[in-house]
Amino acid sequence: MTARFTLPRARPSLAAALACGALIGTLSGCGGNDSASSSSSGSIAPSAKAPAKVLGAVYGTRMTPQEAAAEASLKPTASGIRSEDPPLDPKVFDKPIAQYRAYATREAIAMRRPVAALIAALQHGDRDAAKQAWGDAYDRYLLLGAAYGALGDLDVAIDGTPGHLAGGVSDPGFTGIHRIEHDLWTGKPLPGIVTFAKGLQRNVDKLPHALRTVEITPLDYATRAHEIMEDAQRDMISNVAAPWSGEGLRATDDGLLATGVVLRTLSPILDGRGDALAQTTSYSQQLAMLIAQLKRAHGGQIPTLDQLTHTEHDEVNASLGALLEALSGIPGSLETQLAPGIPSIASQARAAGKASDTSAP
Amino acid sequence: MRLPPSRARPVNRRSFLKRSAVTLGATGLASATAVELTGGNALGADSASLETLERDSLLNRVAYDGPHQPGILQPAAAFATVAALDCVAADASQLVLGLQALTVRARQLTQGTTMPDQEVDEPPADSGTLGPVILPDATTVTVAFGATLFDDRYGLKGKKPVHLAPMEPFANDDLDPAQTGGDLLIQITAQHRDTVVHTLRELVRVARAQFVLRWTVDAFQSADRGPTSRSSRRNLFGFRDGTSNPDTTSADDMNRLIWAGSEEPSWAGGGTYQVVRTIRMHVEFWDRVGLREQEDMIGRTRDTGAPQGGTGEFDDPRFDVDPRGERIQLDAHIRLANPRTPKTDDERILRRGYNYHRGIDAAGQLDQGLLFVAFNQNPERQFKAIQRRLDGEPMVDYITPVGGGYFFAPPGTRDGADWIGSGLFG
Repeated sequence: MTARFTLPRARPSLAAALACGALIGTLSGCGGNDSASSSSSGSIAPSAKAPAKVLGAVYGTRMTPQEAAAEASLKPTASGIRSEDPPLDPKVFDKPIAQYRAYATREAIAMRRPVAALIAALQHGDRDAAKQAWGDAYDRYLLLGAAYGALGDLDVAIDGTPGHLAGGVSDPGFTGIHRIEHDLWTGKPLPGIVTFAKGLQRNVDKLPHALRTVEITPLDYATRAHEIMEDAQRDMISNVAAPWSGEGLRATDDGLLATGVVLRTLSPILDGRGDALAQTTSYSQQLAMLIAQLKRAHGGQIPTLDQLTHTEHDEVNASLGALLEALSGIPGSLETQLAPGIPSIASQARAAGKASDTSAP
Repeated sequence: MRLPPSRARPVNRRSFLKRSAVTLGATGLASATAVELTGGNALGADSASLETLERDSLLNRVAYDGPHQPGILQPAAAFATVAALDCVAADASQLVLGLQALTVRARQLTQGTTMPDQEVDEPPADSGTLGPVILPDATTVTVAFGATLFDDRYGLKGKKPVHLAPMEPFANDDLDPAQTGGDLLIQITAQHRDTVVHTLRELVRVARAQFVLRWTVDAFQSADRGPTSRSSRRNLFGFRDGTSNPDTTSADDMNRLIWAGSEEPSWAGGGTYQVVRTIRMHVEFWDRVGLREQEDMIGRTRDTGAPQGGTGEFDDPRFDVDPRGERIQLDAHIRLANPRTPKTDDERILRRGYNYHRGIDAAGQLDQGLLFVAFNQNPERQFKAIQRRLDGEPMVDYITPVGGGYFFAPPGTRDGADWIGSGLFG
């Protein structure tokens, strides 16, 4: 696999952008002029350059600084200690989600080319070229990052794995990217794979419309910011999702890029809300640099998992683990509401006019 | 039927353990006493050592013979191993020999026995890992049959329990064939890890020609940390598990929910379906989730185990007064698993789950999870109905079922001459 689609996604620049807080879009149409302030004057104060959507309000909220300060006083609640960040107005997510949606739609359109190349390679009987095109197509799909979980059946059709199928890899329902991967890497005759590649092509053609229309809530988006890499940890670097090609590290690299895109759209919001962004940026940079280093050490290709030495694998595990710990702070920094109080069973029973029988068998 | 000779001879006459211990309650749990010990005192134990044995429950004994097999109604023990085996017996008579050998040895090991005398140039009849005296340690051995045992190999096709089928994956499963299914399942539970390990080793030894290990999972129960003796133990997500189990002292409930129904073949009466699922828990991921989100996914407060909005673990969650999910979310695990409606009442199952830990995966992540074990009368009506309702619950991101199977645990043995599965060959 030599020729990979090259996006304007050079790792050092992404990491550097995250690190310095400039976060100017590396992808057109992703809101490059709305970069966040690099200064932070505390967790609740508005950023110096942040566009205040509500006059006199803390950025991203409808609260005055006094109100925000009151919310941030670490008052314990019934369910624990309250977050120090005031809740965000859900509307502040409109622009990041729109930016992401535009980005993902472009990625989906760009996926058509390697899929077409895959079909052509299969028809020409060129397994090596088919593997290369497969890798490029898989990259593109993983670069969607924040959306594939929301695509439902279309995601399963494109990216489904055989574990949930009764017949496993022999099940007729096993199609899509991983069926093609399985057949390519296990030496199956190429003509037989064409059918699956054409099925993939039909589904990929549906992606742009799906991405334009799929509902993405602020909660979805805030959650995906950290779950892309959680998925990479659970499915990619563990060699579960793509076991035949062994491209778990390359897939992790894709996830890191997609996470960077999501975080960049969110950075105007995250700036000034604790240190989650700074932490994440630092560890993203370290992982990006590590993967780049491994790529250089392995002849310019991101190594497959079985090509990693034990030490290299340890380094990846450690770096990814540290990034995940940092990312876990992101959703909490993006809450649109304070954790609501939970009504008691007795109060609900009274309201319903029914006796509260709290003794279960 | 005459029992086959076993390399492990019947209980030695010098056994210090009497068989007349008082049965305690419905669990069939009995305890040998220091007096019993000193009657023969094969251990040569001093009084301090005897106190230790009693304190550590090593003298506790769960009756082996009875209408139901042990290891079903008893509360989960401290340690468990489930082992699925493929049957390689050449024919039905060989299969019978294998089941008889397992039964004889299981009875010895669970009731307590001693090493037999033997010639010094023979390999010892027992591995000796528990010493020359094998204390009962509340050990249970439960044998169950997989659907594949009823194929055309042994003439059992017409005798298959009506609801027994291979485990098909659910939508969120990633079942590994090497960790799924099996002709036979042996569940071993005891109060000490070494007892369980020893029991498995000895059981497979006596039936090597008939059964071959397919997969095993070693598991453990969390310690009883209260606050009451009734409090459920915690799973590896930190939540209490098994709170809403049916009442095992209620014969009506057990007959309605657990023991084989009238639709089953006559030999199966007193048996039950055993569901085993090896559910990997992505614990590192879970640990990175906010507490409230965790509790919302489960529907319970982590510390107390109370349903959200309640104060005690055994509070009724009262879904009826929370129809919009303002207190417990509509897709919370406990609401989907047990909606507590009259319609779902006969779906309830008896859970006997354990935690497992078995090293790390290829990415250095802990391979930990839940060894889900449940008994029910009809998996279609009960376990599968529940599981289908849980399809897509928020918790699925944090778990991956990787193995397991459906099995049928036949009735228990009538007496020392009976053996597990005898009704199948009558």
